This record gives sequence, C-alpha cells and structure tokens, in this order.
Amino acid sequence: MTLAFISESVRAVAETYGPEQVRVAVDGARTMLRIGEVELYPASRPPSTPMLLVLDPGQAKPIAHVQPGQLLANGKAPKSTSIVLVGGESWLQFSFNIPWVEEHGIMRFIAAARQRFAQDE
Amino acid sequence: MSDAQLRFPLGLGHQLREIVFGQAAHEMVAFCLVTHVQVGAETVLLVRRVFGLSEDDYVDGPGHGAAWRGASMLPIIDIAMREGLGIVLVHAHDFGERARLSADDLASARRLVPMFQARVPGRPHGSIVLGRGTASGLLALPGCLPVVTNDLGVRWLGAAIVDWPTGVGDPTVDQEAFDRQALVMGDQGLLARARIVVVGLCGGGSHVVHQLAHTGVGTIIGIDDDMCDGTNLHRAIGMRPQDGRRRTPKTQVMSRLVRNIGTGAKFIGIQARVPDRQTIDALMSADVIVGCVDNLHARADLMEIAWRNCVSYVDVGVNIRALKGVASEPRASIGGNVHVFIPGGFCSWCCGFITNDKLRGERGGRDDRSYFQNKRGQAQVVSFNAVVAGQAVSEVLQLVSAYRGSSIDPAALLIGDGQQRGALKFDGMRGTLQEWGATRRPECPTCNEVLAAGSLVWKAAA
Repeated sequence: MTLAFISESVRAVAETYGPEQVRVAVDGARTMLRIGEVELYPASRPPSTPMLLVLDPGQAKPIAHVQPGQLLANGKAPKSTSIVLVGGESWLQFSFNIPWVEEHGIMRFIAAARQRFAQDE
Repeated sequence: MSDAQLRFPLGLGHQLREIVFGQAAHEMVAFCLVTHVQVGAETVLLVRRVFGLSEDDYVDGPGHGAAWRGASMLPIIDIAMREGLGIVLVHAHDFGERARLSADDLASARRLVPMFQARVPGRPHGSIVLGRGTASGLLALPGCLPVVTNDLGVRWLGAAIVDWPTGVGDPTVDQEAFDRQALVMGDQGLLARARIVVVGLCGGGSHVVHQLAHTGVGTIIGIDDDMCDGTNLHRAIGMRPQDGRRRTPKTQVMSRLVRNIGTGAKFIGIQARVPDRQTIDALMSADVIVGCVDNLHARADLMEIAWRNCVSYVDVGVNIRALKGVASEPRASIGGNVHVFIPGGFCSWCCGFITNDKLRGERGGRDDRSYFQNKRGQAQVVSFNAVVAGQAVSEVLQLVSAYRGSSIDPAALLIGDGQQRGALKFDGMRGTLQEWGATRRPECPTCNEVLAAGSLVWKAAA
C-alpha cells in the first residue's frame, strides 16, 4: 500500500471515530492504528472491541486485529483465529477474506472486518 | 530494584564505556538514543544507538568537566526525532564509589533534558553519570518532570548479564547448602536474585526447571497451557502416573517438583500460551528466557519479545527422525540445538534457524497464522532431552553468574572466523554437542527494527 493511503487512512479513521478514540504508533516501517471501540454485530460478545489496523507499506492490504477473547453472536469462539504478537502486544488475528481495492478506502475495509463477527463460526 | 534501568545490548555498552571512560584531557560525553518499556514498577530504558562527539566538538569551558558546541548535538537530535527515540546524555566520573552529578552537570542537565523532552515527548530522556559500578542522574520519564535519581540501575549485556549496582549478598540464602556449587558459580546471591522464565514444561522444559531449582535460582516462572497425559510420563521430569489420569496442568507438576527440591526457589506457573497477555508480562520481566517449545512460530514470538525488551534468550530443541532401512543400520537421526541469543548479537533469523519459508511450512503454505498446525507425534527420548536441557541450564548459569567471564566486549564472544559463540549443535548419534557459532547479519530486519524497540508509543491521530 502507498504512504499516501496510510496517511489518508489515519485521517479518515480519526474523522469517523473521533480523535479521542484513535491512536497511532509507528513500529519500524509499519503504522499502527488503534481504535478504542469498534461496534460489531449487536449480539457479539462483547458487542464492541478495540481494533488494531496494521498499515505496512510492504504489504498489499491492511491487517485488522481485535482484542483476544472476542466471541461471536452465538457465544462461540470464531474459527481460524489465533493470538499473535503485534508490536509487542497481544492481539487476535482472524481469517476472513476481505476483498481489497486500495481506492475503496480504509473505512470500507473496517466495515468488512466487522462482518467477520456476524458469522456463525 | 531501582525505579529505572538503562539496558545496553551487546556491543553498545562496550562502545559507550570506551567513549566515556576513555583517557582524555576533559570528560567525554556520549548520547544514547533510547526506547523504553514498563516492567512492573520499573521503567527500563533500552539503548538503540550510541553516539560520541569528535574532539573538534569540545570547547574549553570554565568549571566544567566537558563543554561542547550545541550545534554538534543537532544531527543526533535529528535522528532521535526521526526515529522517535529518547536522548540520554552520559558521562563518567571515574573516581569515588558512588557517582553523582556535579552542580555544573546538574545545571547543564536542567537545560538540556526539557529541550529533549519537547522534541520527543513520548520517550524518556536524561543526563546521567556513571561511576565505578553505579549510576545516577537527572531523568525525565514520559509525561513527567525531570527528577534527580541516585538509584539508577544499569544492565550491560555481554558474555554475562552485568548489573550496576551489583547486588549485595542475600542474607536469606543458605550459603553452606551451595558450598560446592559456589566454587564455580561464586556468589549464590546472583542466582537467588535471578528470575528465569521457562516456556514449555514437558520434554525439555521439565529438565530445565528441575535443574534450575537445584541450582537455587530465586524465581522460576513456567509457562505452559497444557495438561499432562499418560504419554508424557516417559519424558516429563516430576510427573506421576496419576497426573496423566487427572490431566494435571504441567505448571502444577513443576510447582510440586520445585517445592520438593527445597532449595528455596520460588515457582510461578502461568497456564497460558505465548503470546497471551500475561505471558508477555512475565517474559518482559525475565532476566533470561529459556524456550523449550516444539515449533518455530512460538520461537519467533519468543525471539521478538526477547529482542524487543533486550532479554537474553536460550532456545533448546531436539529433533529425532525415524529412518526406514535395514535393521543393522541406525533407525533414527537425532539432532538438536542450544542457542544463546544475547540481544545485540545474532538472532534466530540471522543464523537461519527461523525463516519465512520455514514458518510458512508450519502453516501448510498459507500466509495466515490461524492455519498453523502444531506437530504431533514426534519422537522424544528423555536422555537426549537431558543433554540439551542441561547445556541450556549451564548457559543460564553463565549469563547469571558469569563463571566463564563477564566481558561486555563482543570480541570476548568470538570463537574464530568472526563467529560469535552461542550456537551449539547436538548430535545424538555421536553423543556430541558442538559449538558452531553464528554471526549477526547486518541486513537482519529483526536486529535492525525489533532489537530494543520497546513498547509502542501511542499518540493522538493528528
């Protein structure tokens, strides 16, 4: 992804969620974007989660993580997930095929990532 | 424990001491660029770079040990701002038992440190003076006003872990009980104060915990999320048949084992898997991490945590493969490794022990870690595990007690051909454990980006 996309993503996320909800950190070449609370599918447990977006110029698309322990609406743990180390912190990685076109922007990516927790498994 | 510690990876501590303790007509200064991490109540400043000044940068100054042109600091401040690093000015008073900033030093520090803070607010800054085994100075932690501290710890990583100030003997240690060991290891207090985290508590890790407890290591933290089953009994030290039937957590077996040995070692079990949050906290607090895990993904995580926080990491593994062939020929190949990763030296990526291709292999060729499948059913034999685990404990003892020496000069770790010691290969068929050595790769991303990276600094999205 381009550096222009990364800076536009930071701006767009801060504008949408409010500057008090969004924090940015740099880890090597990567920009980390942390959103304090992202609403998931209403019955998800819990129904909202902190979300981490990893924006790496060396990668084609962003990577989204949520807080470990996130459950689906049916109370089950989502399949194909793992706890991973990101920037020295512990985050939940989940497998979900999110169609990706940089021009669609980061907000559409976040919306697609949230849908992962509306699935049944 | 001090409120703050300055921690130097292998090579950088030596570089700093060469500068500030160097012989010159005036005091010499160096600038350390640092990140930081919070470990309990202690803030650990992790040194990423060290810069000295050229002789031309110094000027004559009345009543001051060293004075230099302000412009000479600009390139260093520029790097600190670009990389988001704190600035710690260091000089030395090579006299007296306890170093203290002079009145001139303090006045200078009170001007400089707030200026550093204004440029990189999210990281610690300071001006410190090193003495002979002590350090003190003016330190400003993130979001705090600068304060004078006379209780600053310094950790130098080299052939061993060298801490300033050196701890005084622990009166609670039964020195007589360790008399024979002390002939080699010296002050038992060094071991009694050590905090070793062992990850994986079965075939290799149970040996490590067992031996560490016998040596009188003060705190052993064992991490394993698994429960015993009957198939562990042939290799898990301390396990009983009923542990398999009851599915006793492996951490509980180790707790019982350490308690029964009775040397006073404290065992803390964490029934979780790296990188769960509580395991990261424990690993960050370690003096040494011992990894006894059976997959490269866990090793990559341990490597990252060790490097990010500048914690020495000893990795052990045994690899036994069954061979098909005629009965008169060997029916297995038995290999293994003991790696000693000292932050600043080579890492597991440098020596090719971990590669992206190997990690992808553990994920069945997929890019997503959630496809990782742990290997099951690999051959394990207690006696082969014991060899590499025993060597790992010897390496821990060296790091803590320095029985092989405590030099922080990287040259002291060279074994020929420019190889750094610390990569040992086990050949179970020959019964040998041979030092191969390895070197740090200049282009290694883990060493260049992760080493001493510390905690992320979160800022408001501007």
